[in-house]
Amino acid sequence: MNVLISGGCKNGKSLYAQQIASDLAACGPLYYIATMIPVDEEDNERIARHLREREGWGFETIEQGRSIAELIGREDVDLRGSFLLDSVTAVLQNEMFPVVMKEGKPVFPGEDKKAPERVKAELAAFADAVRQAGGSVVFVSDGIYGDSCGYSSSTEDYRRALAGVDRALAEVCDRVTEVTYGITEEWK
Amino acid sequence: MILVFGGAYQGKTEYALKEFDAKSISDVSDGGEPDFTKDIVKGIEGFVSRCVRAGENPSEYFAARRDEWESCVLVVTDISQGVVPMDKELRAVREANGRLTIYLAKEAEQVHRVFCGIGKRIK
Repeated sequence: MNVLISGGCKNGKSLYAQQIASDLAACGPLYYIATMIPVDEEDNERIARHLREREGWGFETIEQGRSIAELIGREDVDLRGSFLLDSVTAVLQNEMFPVVMKEGKPVFPGEDKKAPERVKAELAAFADAVRQAGGSVVFVSDGIYGDSCGYSSSTEDYRRALAGVDRALAEVCDRVTEVTYGITEEWK
Repeated sequence: MILVFGGAYQGKTEYALKEFDAKSISDVSDGGEPDFTKDIVKGIEGFVSRCVRAGENPSEYFAARRDEWESCVLVVTDISQGVVPMDKELRAVREANGRLTIYLAKEAEQVHRVFCGIGKRIK
């Protein structure tokens, strides 16, 4: 079973998603797809905090911040397992605004305009492959669509693209759940 | 009247077209005048923004034309969820959009919220 979880930031989505992914892993491996590509100390601290939060849950961590469809053919990845991908937001960011390290410093070469369609296709393909193998994926995204201010065009591109990915995932997922301060609302 | 709201890019208009067998659209997101002879009037937040910047009250505009939009599907973007805007005019737009949406939700026979392309009737 594939699940999409979204809602406002810092609302308890990750914890809820961990629980769902863990429940879905009844008899197969439980994977955490780590999507953050750290570029500074703040990122490293956040990753350390996330690792502590997942301690004792039995997650096997897969580092994959982009090209999610690559997981489909990997020998060390059992598609019958339960995957937690947290977050769709980070994957899209990594693909749309790639970071290149130059002499130990992050450099941003610019926006990849082809990334949104690619991410949509890759995530849907991954969801489909896992479903066919008998496994499950829990996707975590972020509801960033309720602001009143206009953003720069690249940020607005990003919001539009993330909404497009969310909607494509909502179509292929069996469940769509919104989390608001730890309270869940079922949309599908 | 049927009110459809939700965040930006959530698929509100696609949902309205499909769900209510609507065909014609008046898009006022650029601040244009609504054409209530169309099945759907969308982008109402854009009309609100233009009204506020021109010193007009969009709720009064709608209240005075109740007969015209009675059989429309009205689509408005929920812009109420973010941080309070620094810009004074934008704060006024956000407030006017909220007030208008409250009024429309009260008057509506049905209210639907759209999330990730999925709609749900909440009234």
